[in-house]
Amino acid sequence: MNEIGKIKGARSVATQDRLNKFLKDASLFYGPDPDIMEYHGLEKRSDMEDVAIKNENDPARMSIVSDRIQAGLDEAFEMLANIGIAPGAKWGDMSTAVYTASGDLTQASTGGVVIFSNLVQYSTKFINKYWIDDPTVGVNEGDAFLHNDARYGTPHNADQALHLPLFHEGKLIAWIGAVIHEGECGAKEPGGIPSSAETIWDEGLKLSPTKVAENYELKRDIVTFLQNSVREPKLQYGDMKAKLYVCCRIEKRMKETIAEFGVDAVLAAMRLNLENTETEVRKRISEWPDGTVRHVCFADHTLRESAMIKINLALHKKGDKLIFDYRGSSPEFTNRANNSLTITVKGLLSQLFLSYIWPDLPRNQAVLAPMDFVFDEKSVLKPTIGTPNAQSMMTLFHSWTAAQLCVSKFIFSLPDKYTRFIAPWYAMINTFQYGGLTQHGEIVGNICADINGMGGGAFADRDGQHSMAPFFATMADIGEQEFIEEELPFIQVVSKKLMKDNQSFGKYRGGMGYQMVVAMRGSNAFGFMLTAQGSKVPNTMGLFGGYACHAYPLCKITGVDVFETFQNRPDEFKYSIQELMNEQPFEGANYSTHAMALQYDFAKEGEMYMIAQGTGGSYGDALERDPEMVMKDMEEDLISHDVAWRIYKVVYDKRNLTVDVEATEAARKAEREDRINRSMPFDDFVEDWVTDTPPANIPYYGSWDDNEIVYAGSPDIKGKIEDLDPIIMPDPKDVRIQALEQELAALSKENPTT
Amino acid sequence: MRRVSVDIGGTFTDCFLVWDGKYVAAKALTTYQNLAHGFNHALKNAYEELGLTLDEVMTGVDSVRYATTLGTNALIERKGPKIGLITTAGFESSVPISRGRGYGEGLSDRLKRDLPMGERPDPLIPIPMIVGVRERVSESGEILLAINEDDLREKIRHLVDRGAQGFVVSLLNSVINPENEIIVEEIIREEYPSHMLGAFPVILSHLVVGRKGEYARTSSSILDAFLHQEMYHGLSSLELNLRDQGYDKPMQVIHNSGGMAQLNSTDALQTIHSGPVAGIHASEHLAMEADLGNIICTDMGGTSFDIGLVVEGGVKFYDFNPVIDRWMVNIPMVHLVTLGAGGGSIAKYDRMSKTVQVGPESARSDPGPACYNKGGMKPTVTDADFILGYIRADRYAGGSIELSEKRALSAMKRNIGKKLGISEIDAAIMVKQKADNNMANGIAQELRTRGYEPRHFTMLAYGGNGALHGCGIANILHINKILVPPFSSIFSAVGAGNMDQMHFHETSLYLTLFDTYSQDMFDDYDRFNVMVADLEEAGKNDLMRQGLDPDMIEHRLELDMRYGNQLAETTVICPFPRMTSEDDILDLIELFSRDYGQRFGEGSQSPEAGIRVNTIRVASYVSLDKVHLKDILPTVADLKEGPEGGEKHPCYFPDIEGAVDTVFHTYEDLEFGTVIPAPAVVSSDSTTFLVEPGWQLEVGKYGAGWLRRLSTKCEEGA
Repeated sequence: MNEIGKIKGARSVATQDRLNKFLKDASLFYGPDPDIMEYHGLEKRSDMEDVAIKNENDPARMSIVSDRIQAGLDEAFEMLANIGIAPGAKWGDMSTAVYTASGDLTQASTGGVVIFSNLVQYSTKFINKYWIDDPTVGVNEGDAFLHNDARYGTPHNADQALHLPLFHEGKLIAWIGAVIHEGECGAKEPGGIPSSAETIWDEGLKLSPTKVAENYELKRDIVTFLQNSVREPKLQYGDMKAKLYVCCRIEKRMKETIAEFGVDAVLAAMRLNLENTETEVRKRISEWPDGTVRHVCFADHTLRESAMIKINLALHKKGDKLIFDYRGSSPEFTNRANNSLTITVKGLLSQLFLSYIWPDLPRNQAVLAPMDFVFDEKSVLKPTIGTPNAQSMMTLFHSWTAAQLCVSKFIFSLPDKYTRFIAPWYAMINTFQYGGLTQHGEIVGNICADINGMGGGAFADRDGQHSMAPFFATMADIGEQEFIEEELPFIQVVSKKLMKDNQSFGKYRGGMGYQMVVAMRGSNAFGFMLTAQGSKVPNTMGLFGGYACHAYPLCKITGVDVFETFQNRPDEFKYSIQELMNEQPFEGANYSTHAMALQYDFAKEGEMYMIAQGTGGSYGDALERDPEMVMKDMEEDLISHDVAWRIYKVVYDKRNLTVDVEATEAARKAEREDRINRSMPFDDFVEDWVTDTPPANIPYYGSWDDNEIVYAGSPDIKGKIEDLDPIIMPDPKDVRIQALEQELAALSKENPTT
Repeated sequence: MRRVSVDIGGTFTDCFLVWDGKYVAAKALTTYQNLAHGFNHALKNAYEELGLTLDEVMTGVDSVRYATTLGTNALIERKGPKIGLITTAGFESSVPISRGRGYGEGLSDRLKRDLPMGERPDPLIPIPMIVGVRERVSESGEILLAINEDDLREKIRHLVDRGAQGFVVSLLNSVINPENEIIVEEIIREEYPSHMLGAFPVILSHLVVGRKGEYARTSSSILDAFLHQEMYHGLSSLELNLRDQGYDKPMQVIHNSGGMAQLNSTDALQTIHSGPVAGIHASEHLAMEADLGNIICTDMGGTSFDIGLVVEGGVKFYDFNPVIDRWMVNIPMVHLVTLGAGGGSIAKYDRMSKTVQVGPESARSDPGPACYNKGGMKPTVTDADFILGYIRADRYAGGSIELSEKRALSAMKRNIGKKLGISEIDAAIMVKQKADNNMANGIAQELRTRGYEPRHFTMLAYGGNGALHGCGIANILHINKILVPPFSSIFSAVGAGNMDQMHFHETSLYLTLFDTYSQDMFDDYDRFNVMVADLEEAGKNDLMRQGLDPDMIEHRLELDMRYGNQLAETTVICPFPRMTSEDDILDLIELFSRDYGQRFGEGSQSPEAGIRVNTIRVASYVSLDKVHLKDILPTVADLKEGPEGGEKHPCYFPDIEGAVDTVFHTYEDLEFGTVIPAPAVVSSDSTTFLVEPGWQLEVGKYGAGWLRRLSTKCEEGA
């Protein structure tokens, strides 16, 4: 409810009640609720839970009940993977979960994306707060609610979540949720994550939690409205049905568990699962040394123009608490879609802890309960509620990488770890989105499964795994190209081929990413998009002297049809981006490089779009890498001679890759000495390097040396973040037009007759 | 009927001899250095029991059938030749990257969700042995880029120079148009002619798998190539052994698709997991003969718990992308799930929930459970069973391992009891309950994802620990009947004795039965029928090559159908051999809708997303005589009261305070039809029946027995 009533000073209780009622009746709009979004801890134990725990608290029995609920969730997850229609359902980009009646996530499916389940807590709490007592909505057995608007509780609008209330003897005792990354949502660009959105109304469907089913039946009028709002009506209907039946399956399993163990046992198990997890997390945090670790990451564009967008993190650990302090990060962008949300930052960090630090813990929200988060209001991580956020990943993922780096530094020296220590995973979506008319006459809009090919970080004792998984999901699937080509009108001419030298160098290298060369074939209305950071500033850092990943551009070859060259000049094609771009084998074609920020671009038959997946961060000094491991990478064609020598300083016989051990040791010794010679005292470095303000030639956003003061694109635009004017950027096309018009005007002036 | 069937396992070679209505089970240790020795030994044990001679058996049997773990072992040991992979240029990393998820295939859920622990297995073909050739076929089979022969020859030589001993050729979309794969083989043959000493085996992917999916198909072909030599030598030496001993008919090899064939019609890959699959086949046969209805087959051994599913009405459950060892393949294989649960599963204290976790880590046989007294310090399920009194120290594994009570108690106390502040007995009860729950949840998930309810099933419990935990698992699932099958310790060999000769042939296609946008129904019947006819012809040729009468050959047509672009493909047994009308299509759609609704819930069908057929599959088979197992189970008329008194020992059971005096029997001392009331423990040579309170045992023949629930609270499933 609106808080105006609190501002006006002391009132009688009766007046306050009347005022509250009036304000409630006069509410214009139940928008995303900051109070709900702010709180990520556990709700208080309800009376119902108290009674249940008094009656049922035997740990062995609770464990068996939890296992039973888990089995139901995993069964439902498998069902969702099978009957979901969206590509995301096939790759594991989804989840199923159970929530307490108050809306806390208590158990999520073993597979799938943790953040999905985590965020549905907020929409559930929204329904509890606004709809449950609203006579025009209400919550009844057999109802289902759907939403996609990220501000109510999804990672972004491309995801759709369906909730089903679970009743027992007429009483709401839990919520059930199923989420799929659907992709298409009717935005100005196809595929669900428009990069050219300047307002939230460009972002397509903005569904707040809405009752879409009664009596376990989807309401066809609402389904039709939703189908009418997106490009893929088949997907919209099919997956609403899939999610509804999956939630019904979970409901059935929950009711069976209640029938067998009693409702108190189920309620107690759900609640104790949360409380026990929080207690355990506090114990584990207590094992860390107290202190502060800081890290910054930079996004290098807004997806419309270049910019240095700072994500600033200081992670404080004291006792059994962690505080993630993101103050000093970039201010929000009023008309760019790269703003994140606090709930998505927090939700993604639950993934960090549950997949990389304590993967043995149950997947529930209590993992974050002992953690606090501090953001600047109006920052890119805590923007004003009306700013666009369709591309929240463009800053969100950096907040995650900064956190992974900080946490890694805290836990490195711990004697007891709960899994292996690892350098940062590659965390960006270097993959094509697509949309248009397929060879089968269907309109589609979605994202390629290559999102799942991110490289794993290096370990303290071995190399990382090549293109293994997206950092936010386990057992995700890159898919099979033969099936993809059957459905969609483009071909990967080079597909999932590890890219030479695409390696974060170190004692142990990160897992490498693969390259993709795609070309449209067989449609007259189909195009691609690309929305990723890291074309100028690397996304992922190394650890303890290890190199970061590379910067990755989008490369394009236009003015040529690769399929025509296959037929007529079959030897021209080269099977790597480096060769295609450096050797330029197609005469007369245009070769260009860009940031990985491609607004929807209609493709012509056979023109080539090329990118590479990223590599995970490396570990340790490259000069300490075992020369034999360097040779193994050589033998596998993963690195060039240039890298073997210039980075790793290995001397070897190029004919048979035999290492000259002594010469290598000498070369490395010389390099170490060179490093010393190139170095300078820290104070000198600071004097030489540090400036008072950001450089004027780079549009810089975020704090510089004082977290209180942030910059907004220029050394001259700075101040406390709340005092800054909204950052409204011109449309790059207008900028270009203006520049061309100026050129034209100048030319006209020089040659008045032309 | 006279038949020999053999299951060569990791430890034992099991033999099942059927001779004019008599059945004999025998075992011998597997002899890795020469499998024939183990076979001969097991067979000798069997025929001597019937007073026969080797010559009589070898000249008298109508068939000798093998199920073998030879391939599984070769994979575990990574024992195979150095293979070169020739693939489409641009796709060289598909196998090393293994669809990303390859890091977790074949691992437990716990490891799958632990990304830092994720690591792909050592490759069967390392990256330097993979080359890409300049060629490209489109999804519809159009040659986009003709193969470049010079490039190909250079790549082949490169692989040979690196030591390739054979080739896998897997080119994109070759199942739609294999022309380029065939050219590659021709050129390899030109370079290294087959009559020359330097010839190489070549495996073309489209011949191994008929379906799309370049990674899984290549992976299948690699496994096939990797195992080929080992399997060929192993199995042909067995066939030679049979010849030497006077057997002059072809040896039959059991396939993981649920059929069998001669060596000349068997891919190495088809033999993997053939033993467990044969066990499921035996279960199916038993279910039909004894009218058991739906059955869930469970095999609980020391380290794993296998689950298979047989339902009435001939519905078959296959995995079309099964995981073999750590690799996903795409051959059709009888569906089988393995959980990390068994007697050796390790129990540990769970600090967070203040209870215990059991498995998936196992103490295996070395050091084994703590009670083995071989250095194992961690408590296991077997330790719990021992502490609870179900196992006697001097009778475990036929008395071959003497158990140490002190070790079991100490491990249970130190690792669990102390931390929870409870006695060893209470800790052991927790471990038993947790283990039973884990297995029950595995079964429930398995059935429920397919639309079945466990309480409507009979549980078949075999394997060394099956009868010991059967009641505990069934209690949780509300299953009322457990059948411990006859010959349970060699049950897979029994299954091998009942297989038909069968071959699968399948093809991928993009066939829209119903187009939701245009509302059109499929009408190109000729296209469909020609594909079916081709597949039938391939199956027929396979069977005729083995000397079978073409008139005996039957075909079963299966279609993998789905709504829209779903992942779920429901296999529908096509009611007609050829498609001739719209009514045929509507019949198919109705069948599909019915099966889908049963699996995912009535109303969940999505015809509005369109309906497609993705695979056409033909099973071609010849039905053979079956071993009859019907009379080995007691009927109501056979039931009689058990012996009075008997040796009693205290046992502990969940939800019952204190020790309960439990009667111990020896199975071999009990007559057919004897009813043993609970609580009781009945030990046989091969297993231990634990008759928990609320149950009774009805003794059958050949080690079989019914465990029936007496309690009325779950009558629905009775």
